[in-house]
Amino acid sequence: MATAAIVTRSLTKSYGELTALDSFDLEVEHGSIFGLLGPNGAGKTTLIRILTTLMRQSSGDASIEGLDILRSGREIRSMIGVVSQENSLDRYLTARENLELHARLHGMEKKLYKRRIDDLLELMGLAGRQKDFPDTFSGGMQRRLVIARALVHQPQVLFLDEPTTGLDPQSRRAVWEYVRSLAGSMTIFLTTHYLEEAEQLCDRIAIMDHGRLIAIGSTQELKDRLSGATVYEIEFAGQDADHYAALLGAMPCVIDLKQVENKIAITLECWECLSEIVTALNGVPVRRISLQERTLEDVFISLTGQKVRE
Amino acid sequence: MLRGSLAIWQRDMLILRRSIISELVAVVAYPLTIYLAFGIGMQSYIGLVDGAPYSMFIAPGLITMTAVSAAYNESVWSLWFHRRVQFTIESYRVTPISVSEIVIAKIFTGFTHGIIKGCAVGLVIFTITPFRFPLEHLLQYLLFLIPGSALFSCAGIISGTVMDKPETIGKVEAVLVMPLIFMSGLFFPLSSYPPSVVSWVRALPTTALFEGARRVLVAGDMQSLAALQVSLSAIVAFVAAVCIFRYKMSE
Ligand SMILES: Nc1ncnc2c1ncn2[C@@H]1O[C@H](COP(=O)(O)OP(=O)(O)OP(=O)(O)O)[C@@H](O)[C@H]1O
Ligand SMILES: [Mg+2]
Repeated sequence: MATAAIVTRSLTKSYGELTALDSFDLEVEHGSIFGLLGPNGAGKTTLIRILTTLMRQSSGDASIEGLDILRSGREIRSMIGVVSQENSLDRYLTARENLELHARLHGMEKKLYKRRIDDLLELMGLAGRQKDFPDTFSGGMQRRLVIARALVHQPQVLFLDEPTTGLDPQSRRAVWEYVRSLAGSMTIFLTTHYLEEAEQLCDRIAIMDHGRLIAIGSTQELKDRLSGATVYEIEFAGQDADHYAALLGAMPCVIDLKQVENKIAITLECWECLSEIVTALNGVPVRRISLQERTLEDVFISLTGQKVRE
Repeated sequence: MLRGSLAIWQRDMLILRRSIISELVAVVAYPLTIYLAFGIGMQSYIGLVDGAPYSMFIAPGLITMTAVSAAYNESVWSLWFHRRVQFTIESYRVTPISVSEIVIAKIFTGFTHGIIKGCAVGLVIFTITPFRFPLEHLLQYLLFLIPGSALFSCAGIISGTVMDKPETIGKVEAVLVMPLIFMSGLFFPLSSYPPSVVSWVRALPTTALFEGARRVLVAGDMQSLAALQVSLSAIVAFVAAVCIFRYKMSE
């Protein structure tokens, strides 16, 4: 079997006392979109910087397309595209010149890169603004230009460090569409704070915090990993919610109960307990009973103990 | 091997071409003001210095000063800006070129700025004065101007690599670079120094540069040893700049 596109083994990076990346083990399949989620300071950028040869690890190994990152830096850089967390566009060059310089640094022939750049500008919806300087662009356009730059040399592996942070919902969706349109043709490794982004785009998701990998799997696998318990929200008509909360709280199948005004969220051991609840509430003015879907956010909070900061 | 250097240098030259007029006006204004104020305004009070009219005495120094400070400034600010503000260095570093190629490109850019701006000031000064330096002196003067600009470009690269804050860069320029230039006999002959100091001042490569440049240009007196000293310093600075930049990037 061919090796995975990205492999890390006990990858560790320390900045003095601080261990930003702690024995990190990861495999990313060819052609997949892989999402790395983690709160601020989790070590996402550190991992990307090591994988893109901008920084050396303190210990452990990593390889891209089977090539060791320490020994084959140049070969690796020729086949990866990188969208860093900061935009890093050259504001003294026009949009097109930014792409041309990048193509030249990749040793591409002029004939070849001229067409490729035309196509990319078209694809990213920037063809009309190619002679303008990037500081006259909106945040979304700048981001698209950086992505275009990372694609000029047709990389096999694309790294995107928080590609949509700071963008409005429309621009974010536009970037998602571009990323999705690339799926299959290359391996994509992205980091994000947005759970929705990971859920929408990624085949597999890893959650990390404090430099450690804490969970990995598809969105569904991660959701399933939450305890089998199910949460129902019951909304009452009238003012007696406190009374019903006491009643429900006393039932053995109710593991947890939270009340907000006249809404009560109960966590049940299993869904079969629901009928007991319904029986107990016979005659009570219930306005609505709904099942709360587990979101990736629940998974995230249960694993990292905190909300994702955006 | 230097494909990456060439691409980055050409990028820098494109930017220079786009703003060449304003760059030249700005760079010529300062030495020209000094030249008019001291060289012409004060000339009759100062008279001959080392056998030359004062305006002629300071002309080579002003050209050299323009070249080396342009080289230094371009290198230091450009490296700081591309490293700390625009993160362009990082975008170069994820392409298949080496870190050395990047720093070499930047050294050449600073050097080119120095040569172009030095020549511009030289042309202006030659146009407004009656002195005509023989072609031979001018060519020999290049043996100082070229390594001098390279030396200061490398020094700028080193500063721009190790200094992360713009205010530090400004301070180093005020405390180190400008005094070095002014102390090396730009406006006065070295014989004005007390004898105990003069041997120290002479040991500085900047002194070799400014003294040697003036002697060859004004009197056709080629100080080969001084030229060699400037060239060797430039080579050492080049190696240091490349190593320091590579070290910084591997952190
Ligand atoms: N150059 C550095 N020197 C010292 N510590 C650093 C350095 N870079 C990062 N760190 C620390 O390493 C940890 C991980 O940082 P990193 O930038 O990888 O996090 P991140 O997951 O990308 O965060 P964010 O979501 O905010 O971008 C943080 O605690 C950070 O303070
Ligand atoms: Mg980050």
